[in-house]
Amino acid sequence: MIALEARDMVRTLDGDPPATLVAGASFSVERGRFTTIIGPSGCGKSSLLYLLGLLDRPTSGALLVDGEDVTPLGGDARARLRLQHFGFVFQFHFLLPEFTALENVLLPIRRLGALDATHASERARTLLAAVGLSGKEGKTPDRLSGGERQRVAIARALANDPQIILGDEPTGNLDSKNAANVVETFKSLAHEENRAVVCVTHDPKIAEAADVRIAMLDGRIASIETGAVAM
Amino acid sequence: MIGARLPLLIDIAIKHLAGRKRQSVVAVFGVAVGVGFFLAVSALMVGSQNDFITRLIDAAPHIVVTDEIRSPRPQPGTIAFPRGAVILRHFKTRTEARGIKDWPALVAAADAVPGTIASPSLSGGITLKLGGHEEALGVIGIDPEKETRVSTVESNLRAGHLRDLETTQGGLVVGEELAARLGVGMGDVVAATSASGATRSLRIVGLMKRGQTAIGDTSGYVLLREAQSLLERPFIINRIGIKLRDPYAADPVAKRLEARFGYKAQSWQERSSDILSVLVTRNVIMYTVVSAILLVASFGIYTAVSTSVSDKRRDIAILRSIGFSQGDLQLVFVIEGLIVALIGILLGWMLGFGLMSALGSLRFPIAGETQYLPLDHGARQYLIAATASLLAGIVAAWLPARKAARVDPVDILRGAA
Repeated sequence: MIALEARDMVRTLDGDPPATLVAGASFSVERGRFTTIIGPSGCGKSSLLYLLGLLDRPTSGALLVDGEDVTPLGGDARARLRLQHFGFVFQFHFLLPEFTALENVLLPIRRLGALDATHASERARTLLAAVGLSGKEGKTPDRLSGGERQRVAIARALANDPQIILGDEPTGNLDSKNAANVVETFKSLAHEENRAVVCVTHDPKIAEAADVRIAMLDGRIASIETGAVAM
Repeated sequence: MIGARLPLLIDIAIKHLAGRKRQSVVAVFGVAVGVGFFLAVSALMVGSQNDFITRLIDAAPHIVVTDEIRSPRPQPGTIAFPRGAVILRHFKTRTEARGIKDWPALVAAADAVPGTIASPSLSGGITLKLGGHEEALGVIGIDPEKETRVSTVESNLRAGHLRDLETTQGGLVVGEELAARLGVGMGDVVAATSASGATRSLRIVGLMKRGQTAIGDTSGYVLLREAQSLLERPFIINRIGIKLRDPYAADPVAKRLEARFGYKAQSWQERSSDILSVLVTRNVIMYTVVSAILLVASFGIYTAVSTSVSDKRRDIAILRSIGFSQGDLQLVFVIEGLIVALIGILLGWMLGFGLMSALGSLRFPIAGETQYLPLDHGARQYLIAATASLLAGIVAAWLPARKAARVDPVDILRGAA
């Protein structure tokens, strides 16, 4: 089932001459699959991810989420979609420093407002327990290790049960053991929970573990490979 | 659906402020000091102004009708030919007999306005003698019952009552300084001589406190009948003091009476128009100074929210990526300004109350009596201070909050990655 479909998406930056970040990307992202976007630094893979995550708008072309064209939507509608259907995990943990682990996970739940306070808190605790952080709910990010922070970020990304998970070098700042954990988590989110997982990386180990590899070069999609790579 | 997300946005705003304690406290104190001093200064200004106007209004009747006319009576020719091309000038005006003619009608007309009291009086000059000592005295003949209700004479008596004039044959009320100069006290008898040479004995039944500028040291009160016979002007009066229920209606009532009867009717506003214009200037100065204080307080809020926005650009990007809208983020920072303003207002109210209590407890000995500063404790000043600070706070927070809404999360994410 196709979760995201890019139709000739172009993103240029104003300037003289205009810089092209993404030059005509067309592909689709399926649920139940772990997709990676790979390529050298500056090839436009992060820019493509921001377009897929509705954080940025394509200069031309279209993006379909669950078959619906979201390109013409306004800022508030896009924020609403991000809140309900997208979960982000970045290279740096990107937690709010003044908030505890539990409060960080609660942010999207409270913003959506679908659960009352008791159930929201219950859900946040369950999510933290699922990433192995039981007992650390009350700690602020500065009292957690790098790996723990990234797990809080993953729990937060899953807060509203989104169908699309986007990672931007999510293991870039982690040691190999923590990185392997994150990759395992992402794989299970795709395979066992049938979500669409898209991960930008230049780590070949993650790319090898993925079901789909989209290779980019100079803003263009160079190749799309399917199937796990034999180790 | 602002209702559901508001508590969350307030939480975020509070966390931001709590994370920057020093800056938040400074901003709160800026507002508190602004509000506190606004309250103290305006309580003093409004209080003293009200006190001043009360004194101004009560020093003399609200309207004084005298036997003067503002312009001579029109000449018969002018009346006969109102549109005639003749202007008469430099004619000899008729000498009018002094005194208000038909005064009972004027008093009745004034009394017809509900809540109004008119007190007719006759004044003239006499000389008081005791032994070889002589003192000139402007004597005012009054109806004690009416005069008590029209002027503040009764409340300014050191000893005796105005109504004693009725019960004592030849009763006289004079200033205590004059009495001291003559060496007389309550119950003593002095000889009075009128301009025409008639002499009679007057008995002192009341003493007025010193320092009553409006009445003066050289005036005294007797019964109206007494004055009329002493000055040899029976049935004549030359002054009507009128007190109204609403002092601010004095001007139109005075104009109406003057138009109808022709005698000069002067309202307290006309009498003190120079002083009232000074008050306007005073108010302009006060509100300028006070607005400056509040403006400085709002600069504090602007700085606090503005630095909060630039410090929290990363948080803004995170929240946007999670699914918070631009409006949410703008609201967070406006709420920060509002919280600072609200706490500042509460502290400022307390500070202002404290300052007022301190000012109110100051004692000033004036003319042998302990006086306190006239302070206005009305809730109006508190409301003005709160409203002005809130509005200033919202504007001061809204300007930088717009910047927060415009932060592009992609710029921040690119920079960090």
